Amino acid sequence: MRQRFISAVQIILQLALTTVGLTGQSYPGKPQIIRCRSLEKETFSCWWKPGSDGGLPNNYTLFYSKDSGGEWSYIQLQLVTSGVLKGSVLGSVLFNTFIGDLDERTERSLSQFADDTKLGRIQPDAPVNLSLATNTSANVSYLWAKWCPPPLADASFNSHVYHYELRLKPEEKEEWETVSVGMQTHYEVTSLQAGVKYVVQVRCMLDLGEWSEWSSERSIQIPKERLPPEKPRIIKCRSPEKETFTCWWKPALDGGLSTNHTLLYSKEGEEKVYECPDYKTAGPNSCYFDKKHTSFWTIYNITVRATNEMGSNVSDPHYVDVTYIVQPDPPVNITLELKKSIKRNPYLVLTWSPPPLADVRSGWLTLEYELRLKPEEGEEWETIFVGQQTQCKMFSLNPGKRYIVQIHCKPDHHGLWSEWSPEMYIEIPTDFRVKDLVVWIIVGVLSSLICLIMSWIMIMKGYRMMAFILPPVPGPKIKGIDTHLLETGKSEELLSALGCHGFPPTSDCEELLIEYLEVEDSEDQQLMPSHDTPSKNTKIILKETDSDSGRGSCDSPSLLPVKCRESRGFPSTLQTQDVRAKEKKGGKGSWETQCTAPEQKTLPCNSESIKSCTWLAAQLPSNQAAMFAYHSTVEAFKITLNTTNVNTSPVLVGNEENRQSLYPIAETGYDDVEKISEMEYSRTDQITVQVRQNQHNDKSPFLNPKLMDYVEVHKVRQDKEPTLLLKHKESSGKTKKCTVPGTSKEYTKVSTVVDHHILVLLPDQRTQNTPVSQEPVAETSQNPQQTQAEKNTSYSTTAPSDSRRDTSGSDYMDPSSFMPCFK
Amino acid sequence: GLLLVALLVSHMLLIKEGVTSLPICPKGSVNCQLSLEELFDRAVKVSHYIHFVSSEMLYEFAEHYAQGRDFIAKAVNSCHTASLTTPEDKEQAQQIHHEDLLNLILGILRSWNDPLIHLASEVQTIKEAPETILWKAVEIEEQNKRLLEGMEKIVGRVHSGEVENDIHTPWDGLPSLQLADEDSRLSAFYNLLHCFHRDSHKIDNYLKVLKCRLIHDNNC
Repeated sequence: MRQRFISAVQIILQLALTTVGLTGQSYPGKPQIIRCRSLEKETFSCWWKPGSDGGLPNNYTLFYSKDSGGEWSYIQLQLVTSGVLKGSVLGSVLFNTFIGDLDERTERSLSQFADDTKLGRIQPDAPVNLSLATNTSANVSYLWAKWCPPPLADASFNSHVYHYELRLKPEEKEEWETVSVGMQTHYEVTSLQAGVKYVVQVRCMLDLGEWSEWSSERSIQIPKERLPPEKPRIIKCRSPEKETFTCWWKPALDGGLSTNHTLLYSKEGEEKVYECPDYKTAGPNSCYFDKKHTSFWTIYNITVRATNEMGSNVSDPHYVDVTYIVQPDPPVNITLELKKSIKRNPYLVLTWSPPPLADVRSGWLTLEYELRLKPEEGEEWETIFVGQQTQCKMFSLNPGKRYIVQIHCKPDHHGLWSEWSPEMYIEIPTDFRVKDLVVWIIVGVLSSLICLIMSWIMIMKGYRMMAFILPPVPGPKIKGIDTHLLETGKSEELLSALGCHGFPPTSDCEELLIEYLEVEDSEDQQLMPSHDTPSKNTKIILKETDSDSGRGSCDSPSLLPVKCRESRGFPSTLQTQDVRAKEKKGGKGSWETQCTAPEQKTLPCNSESIKSCTWLAAQLPSNQAAMFAYHSTVEAFKITLNTTNVNTSPVLVGNEENRQSLYPIAETGYDDVEKISEMEYSRTDQITVQVRQNQHNDKSPFLNPKLMDYVEVHKVRQDKEPTLLLKHKESSGKTKKCTVPGTSKEYTKVSTVVDHHILVLLPDQRTQNTPVSQEPVAETSQNPQQTQAEKNTSYSTTAPSDSRRDTSGSDYMDPSSFMPCFK
Repeated sequence: GLLLVALLVSHMLLIKEGVTSLPICPKGSVNCQLSLEELFDRAVKVSHYIHFVSSEMLYEFAEHYAQGRDFIAKAVNSCHTASLTTPEDKEQAQQIHHEDLLNLILGILRSWNDPLIHLASEVQTIKEAPETILWKAVEIEEQNKRLLEGMEKIVGRVHSGEVENDIHTPWDGLPSLQLADEDSRLSAFYNLLHCFHRDSHKIDNYLKVLKCRLIHDNNC
């Protein structure tokens, strides 16, 4: 049987359409097998679509072979004219009956074969006659299901054994519960829910074939149980504020019957059992104990009883001391505030309030708090216990991160932590320092802008501005060392310069120092026309030189006030003079022709005595002479610039020159003062000034000093370098001459002039800084030897103290005593 | 367990230090008197501490000896101080006059003087009693005395009339602590610890209420 069945599965079917061959008839159309199916193992059915029949009655023959390469068997089918035919249910027995007939007709008929088709797996029809019944025994419900196997056309084949499956579900549900039944045609279902309507279906399968369709649904109502409830269970008790409390329980399974739950309690020390005062307030399955029913430091014995028609069941007792079951609500009014501190990162200030139910003010309930926070993307919470405080400061938070903060609370000693408060978010701003930086950058840019503008203004307005704003820094005290000296590298020079500043200073060095210091004055004056530098130099002088005569003169009230006034008054005149100088510069072009003539005239003067020159100059008109002087000095300076390495700027020198030239015009009288002030201010060109002063002294009785000045300056300037030595000698000689006829007062003046001359001589060499200037130094040192006999001559340069004794001390000290007044 | 104990001890030491190291009076001060607030602060600190230690001790005891023994069920209705009528909820605690409440506190403290002394000595006889329990028994006894002193001071300050000195309930539980039957004995110990645990909490709670009422005018 089984083998046959398996081979039946492999049956290949071929349907032949044979048509009775009449005269000139065409082939019939190709038939198509739609489906073949075996309900059991013995028979099969085929459905096909006939091809076109050409209007003639056709015969169909079904060929089948049990294997793909096996012999074909065939079944002669009855004559059909048209339409879809359902093949007969044919038994193997029937096959043979048609074989003989086929042989006769095939020769006389045209036939067309359908495509080979395999017989599908056996799929029986669904079981039938499903019936359900319920039965309840010992409080358990059963479901009894019965059905019949699928009916077959031939009743003789009903001996087949089917496998059955049953599925069921509560009517309202979607999911089926499938049960394998086996070969029985009945089944008993247990573990059903009482009071539920179930839906049931069955299906069957023949050996390894396909499952049939599910049978039609049958449904049945399972009756309700009639049982006493199970044990309820008390879940927990909680007091939110240490004044009232609530207990919750899990209800017992009611089994479809309505069940009542009652909570009963007894308090420690009391025999009486009470029932729950309030089932409603706290929701279903709970009991609320209000203030009146709540006692502390007392153990409650609580039980819950579940009752239905069938009986009741009581929970296990629950012992509760309300003192220990306080679980407050979470804190409220949580605020997060970001406080900025100047130096550190911003910090977070958290504040909160206790839960509204909790009465912490009376002291009945004391709460402690704990907060936790983490960056939003972080995994781990950082938990901080803060005690009874209701605020907390959080430092060292990472800037640029978003934090989540939560707080909960708990009574002191006992009780449970509250739920965490809702999440609070706070964004820590990115670094504050970056913002600061921006501010600083802005400030920096602004300030540098201001600086730029300032410096621009200063450049525009000239160095006086700078001098005004920034007082000049005092020059190095060791003036003997000169970078230019070092560069030129004459060892004697260097040694002589250095030697003076050895320690302890020798008397010779002192003398030299004075000289050099005074020379400094001139340099400083060149650079800075302000009166600060002289004051410093004078200090040094006071310290290093023997100051008996110097101080006396400086302190002498007769001279000082005048000098001071002069010096102080000077800067104001200086500016006005500048303006004039500019004006004159502007008008220079017109005078150029005039200038040339005097220059030519004055040239020979150098070789001759100055006296004669002055006389010549005196003959010129006063105005013109002044102009010449001014012009010439400027020009002369230009020459010196070209030939020497003077570091000073022409502007400065120009100013100095202007001052020199204009000063006498501005001043009337005060020859002495004039001289002193000029000495101070005209250090740019010591030679010229000295010469001029000489002339002052010489010619004061005879000529207008102003005129004389300019002429003299002019002359000297012209041939400064080549005739430097000559001039001095001449001047010294001249002064001698001049002093003789002068009064005692005049004499002192003259002597100072001489001093200045000699003093000037050295600075001049230095200011020029030319190799040529070295010679004059040597000469000055020679000077004393040459003219030792003469009191007021160059001797005083090397030994000023000596000369001072001879001349009036006040005169000598004029410059030094004059300087402190600038302070 | 060990870690917990270590934490506990360190915590206690901290608290103890905070409690004991406060000088009563600054040196050289004449007629020095602590303010009522300071007295209450100290009393609350001590009571808080006592209850903390008693809690730890109770749990520790239960941990060691409660297995298989239904201590709690037996502990019901058995405290010797139950005869003292004390406020049982917030309303009662607020309604009672503060002098009465103070007297009640004194009464409870006095009622525990004897039992705690016996507890401290008898607990030594328990088999394999952990060192921490022994230590805590002594500590509780000492701190209870300290608190009693402090409370007498407060009562002396607050009371207008005469101080009632004899409110206390006698304790007759010593024999139960010396029972031969181990289970009964342990049960008696547990009961005593449980009762003190409750009363120490009562005292602490009452003191906190009194402090808020008398010092902060119910606005703690």
